[in-house]
Amino acid sequence: MTAASPAKRFRDLGSKAVPYLLILPVVVYYFLFWLRPVLKTLIDSFRTAAGGFTFQNYIMVFTDPNFMPALRNTAIIVVFSVSLEFIAALFLALLINRKFFGSSLFLFVAMIPMALPAVAVGAMWLTGLTAHGWMNSLLYYLNIIAESHKIYWLTGSEWKLLALIIVVDAWQVIPSVMIILLAGLQNIPEETIEAGYVFGGDYLTVLRKITVPLLGPTIQTAVILRLISAIQIWLIIVLLVGFSRMPVLVERIVYYHEEVPGLDISFQMASGYTIIVSLIVSTAALLYLRASGAFGSKKEAAR
Amino acid sequence: MATLKMQNVTKQFGRNVIAVRDFNLEVKEQEFLVLLGPSGCGKTTAMRMVAGLEEVTTGKIFIGDRDVTDLPPRKRNVSMIFQNYAVWPHMTVYDNIAFALKLKNLPAEEIDRKVKEAAGLAKIEMLLDRLPAQLSGGQQQRVAVSRAIAVNPDIFLMDEPLSNLDAKLRVSMRTELKAIHEKAGSTTVFVTHDQSEAMSMADRIVIMKDGEVIQVGSPDDVYHRSRSIFVADFIGTPPTNFMEVDVRKEGEGIHLVNSHLNLLLEPALAKHLNTYSKDKIILGVRPENMLLVSEDEAALSASCLVSEPQGSHQVVAIQLDDSIIKVIAPASPTILPGTAVHMSFKQETLRFFDPDTTLAIND
Ligand SMILES: Nc1ncnc2c1ncn2[C@@H]1O[C@H](COP(=O)(O)OP(=O)(O)OP(=O)(O)O)[C@@H](O)[C@H]1O
Ligand SMILES: [Mg+2]
Repeated sequence: MTAASPAKRFRDLGSKAVPYLLILPVVVYYFLFWLRPVLKTLIDSFRTAAGGFTFQNYIMVFTDPNFMPALRNTAIIVVFSVSLEFIAALFLALLINRKFFGSSLFLFVAMIPMALPAVAVGAMWLTGLTAHGWMNSLLYYLNIIAESHKIYWLTGSEWKLLALIIVVDAWQVIPSVMIILLAGLQNIPEETIEAGYVFGGDYLTVLRKITVPLLGPTIQTAVILRLISAIQIWLIIVLLVGFSRMPVLVERIVYYHEEVPGLDISFQMASGYTIIVSLIVSTAALLYLRASGAFGSKKEAAR
Repeated sequence: MATLKMQNVTKQFGRNVIAVRDFNLEVKEQEFLVLLGPSGCGKTTAMRMVAGLEEVTTGKIFIGDRDVTDLPPRKRNVSMIFQNYAVWPHMTVYDNIAFALKLKNLPAEEIDRKVKEAAGLAKIEMLLDRLPAQLSGGQQQRVAVSRAIAVNPDIFLMDEPLSNLDAKLRVSMRTELKAIHEKAGSTTVFVTHDQSEAMSMADRIVIMKDGEVIQVGSPDDVYHRSRSIFVADFIGTPPTNFMEVDVRKEGEGIHLVNSHLNLLLEPALAKHLNTYSKDKIILGVRPENMLLVSEDEAALSASCLVSEPQGSHQVVAIQLDDSIIKVIAPASPTILPGTAVHMSFKQETLRFFDPDTTLAIND
């Protein structure tokens, strides 16, 4: 017994350590490539160019005349693009889920925008939206506008530009939202929906009371992913109208980081913006998750 | 409550799958009708057409005197119990049962009363606040039953509602469903491929094969007066024994003869073969209608292959050339493998089938 027990204890210790050993590579990976850069950015945002501690970067960020417009524009884009994309994607997913003749071809076509990189999308819409672009040509050939009435898509009020950006972004990301929702729809057992019809529901009632609630977790996933990436829209804006014309938060980061390296604290300001954007993203995500009931007990979530 | 009538209903999927073919059926008021048949014979399809979940290709469906053929499910006033229960996982038991009542805009007190009444019938009053995920399979099935009763439907449809339950629960739920049916008095169509379930529950059984109705009748009818070899074989455990025999007319009498058997038919049975012109028939005899007798009374003798004791009786398997027949014998004495078994028949129970059409000759 005395001979067996140290060996046994060693074995116990070994078996306890195994799970930790197994996740060690992931921990190391996260530390090196995720936590370290985050911490470095956080520290940089409190540093002067010479390396001392300061709040100056944040003061500069908050007094940047473009900060408030950037915040406002980002908020508008998020609210409208997420709602628009969600509604359009749900509609498409419901349509494709009916498996009509040719629905798989339709699905394929609908997914094309997803395959294009953002830069290509920007370039494509840019060539489309200039005064002599394909958008005006198309409208002209369809006899919707006269030759002398070219629409100047990329000029004019900020609202017009915002709407344009929301539409272009929606064009690209609706397919991915749709795929998530479609996968969710296909996971709902058919009998559950049919029971809704048998027990007195018409299409809209069943959609509202059964399909959408059962799709809940999927909708949550889709919306949270879109929410985060809508806050991060910038490339398409810069490609369409350039820097500083339609400031949004992430565009500011890139702007200070890439476009004004002459300023000796531009790097620190970019870090400041980064931290602020991260806080906003996390807060928005948390607020949304709380509002949609993801933190409640199962029972509350179901109500 | 109402009657249900299906008139020449056919359902075709795509170009070449005909799931239900020229289906005619009348279900009487308050009747418990069972659709029985092997897997893939079109039972579910037939039922879904009644519910309105599947369009008919041709034919008409009437509930009472309403032609419902082109109505959507919600306007048919039928309710359905699905094979996988299909209770809504995001609603409490109460809300599941109340769903249809709320859509009818009934006053709250009335909804409450009906929900509790339906829950009481299925014995789930104490589960009303739970979510389906917190219930066992049997309890979920009861929720589905309550939900279906609560709307007071014209027709009650059940698609293999017991097939997901364990064997013991299945048998006790059978009894309960039947009792609920007696109390609620609803016209019911019940689908199953389990013949003992069908026998024990049905007022009438509809036997289907390949989308067609083969026989309609009371459990007694389909069991004792099976209209074809298919029915005689499908109904009963163990099923009917079949033997191919020659028909010999010798003087006034008719003998059925094969290498093991020589049976002089009683006049009451022999008359069925008077107008029969072929010289072979398939003889069908149920295992409990074969009697063990002494050697000199025997119509058929062979040796026992194996005997399966069942407590109240034993099932004796007997090898005849390349086929095996089964006989139900009293529990004792135990018949040992290899011993000679001498048998005669309860003649009035014999069934004669035409070997070409497989249909019964003596109806
Ligand atoms: N949506 C469909 N599309 C094509 N064929 C179908 C469809 N639904 C059913 N079928 C076919 O119709 C036939 C009858 O199917 P049905 O589901 O009615 O059988 P069933 O008698 O209910 O069988 P089971 O006892 O296995 O449930 C089968 O051959 C089946 O393959
Ligand atoms: Mg079926």
